Amino acid sequence: MTTDSLMMDEASSVLAGVDLLRIVRINEEIKRVVGVSFKINIMALNAIFLAKRAGTAARGFGVLSNELRVFSQDLRTSMEALTGLIYGCVNAVSVGLQDMRYARLLDEASALASDASVLAVLRRRQAQNAVHAATLSSLRGKLKRALEDAFQLVELGGVLAKSAKIEAAYGQAFAGALAQVSGEFDHVVEEIRDSLESLRRSAFFTANRG
Amino acid sequence: MKTTKTIFQQGNHKWVAIVRDPAKPNFIVDTNEYLITHGGKGLILDPGGAEIFPAVFSALSAEFDPTSLVGIFASHQDPDICSSLALWLEFNPGMRCYVSWLWSGFIPHFGGTAETFVAIPDEGQDISLEGLMLQAVPAHYLHSSGNFNLYDKIAKVLFSGDVGAALLPAGEDGLFVENFDRHIRHAEGFHRRWMGSNEAKRRWCERVSKMDIDMLCPQHGAIYRGADVARFINWFDELQVGIV
Ligand SMILES: [Fe+2]
Ligand SMILES: [Fe+2]
Repeated sequence: MTTDSLMMDEASSVLAGVDLLRIVRINEEIKRVVGVSFKINIMALNAIFLAKRAGTAARGFGVLSNELRVFSQDLRTSMEALTGLIYGCVNAVSVGLQDMRYARLLDEASALASDASVLAVLRRRQAQNAVHAATLSSLRGKLKRALEDAFQLVELGGVLAKSAKIEAAYGQAFAGALAQVSGEFDHVVEEIRDSLESLRRSAFFTANRG
Repeated sequence: MKTTKTIFQQGNHKWVAIVRDPAKPNFIVDTNEYLITHGGKGLILDPGGAEIFPAVFSALSAEFDPTSLVGIFASHQDPDICSSLALWLEFNPGMRCYVSWLWSGFIPHFGGTAETFVAIPDEGQDISLEGLMLQAVPAHYLHSSGNFNLYDKIAKVLFSGDVGAALLPAGEDGLFVENFDRHIRHAEGFHRRWMGSNEAKRRWCERVSKMDIDMLCPQHGAIYRGADVARFINWFDELQVGIV
């Protein structure tokens, strides 16, 4: 084998190892966000009950809290999609690591042996590896898009939460309670937003890939 | 790269030992692999770990067409025995792997499909290699709880797996045992610690002492020839094992 292909092999196997680490971190972060988005569902329900009790004094808040409830359900759907994609990515990266190990061992065998069968096997293995790599790259793209969608959704949630904060001020006797609920909502949405923002910028998506 | 040495030959019936790799990193235990050929087909015995595949493959392929390998005999389940399984299967996906029924659900973690495995029953079985009848001989608990040796009655060779294994220091690692007393010192600690049952050992000694064996070939260390075969069996019979 050539030094070039050896170096490429090593580089790509290091890259796959790093990828696995990155995807595991993304997974952990998404698990956290999924947990938080459960909290949001309950908060939205609370806001709806509160608005009902406040009655006409909080009509605007009531409309918004319904929107927030829809938002929290959309967020959950979006998190489920992310969880599925992440699982696929972890799997594809692990397959890639195993592929590279076998390709390396076959490559070493072909360098030592003059037998032609090993070259044929190596080529077949490389073709198979290319298919696996294409699967990973397609999953990577899907995950990136799903993260973008989730981010857009959360931006919308942020706008809703901020509007609810403003509406809370008109809640007369309920103004304090409404302000607290909308404040907490806003806080949690910001938290999710920050998490997603950092995930979008993970090197798993941005690192140079030859 | 490993070296090959033909230890038996009669027409196209051959036993080839694949041994000693000067390039092998020290932290990986040294292993012997054996190839039996007959009628143009080959059976590889304990083909070794994945990391040493390149060394074993290249040595074997210098001697034999790897696509004509039809079977793998795995004496037991250890990673130094057959974690290279998936790589060998790339050369002939139809290859069969013979292993104790006890491990036939575990070894697939190294590769293969449902069709790959032939589960050997506890009492052993005959394995045919293009008409050459080989015999899987029970050696349970020595050291694995589902463990087989492979006997070739034409060649009078017994592949003994980890039985007879020795961890030889550099410079004393010839292919054959030359001085039994000196050699056996490198085998004693291994047998005491790795072999699990005195009762099973007793039965094995009884069984193999009735067999006609010219060469006893372990998976680590050197091959016992001629009078050293009986010498080894007697020594092993006396040894107390299963003690830490
Ligand atoms: Fe073993
Ligand atoms: Fe062993």
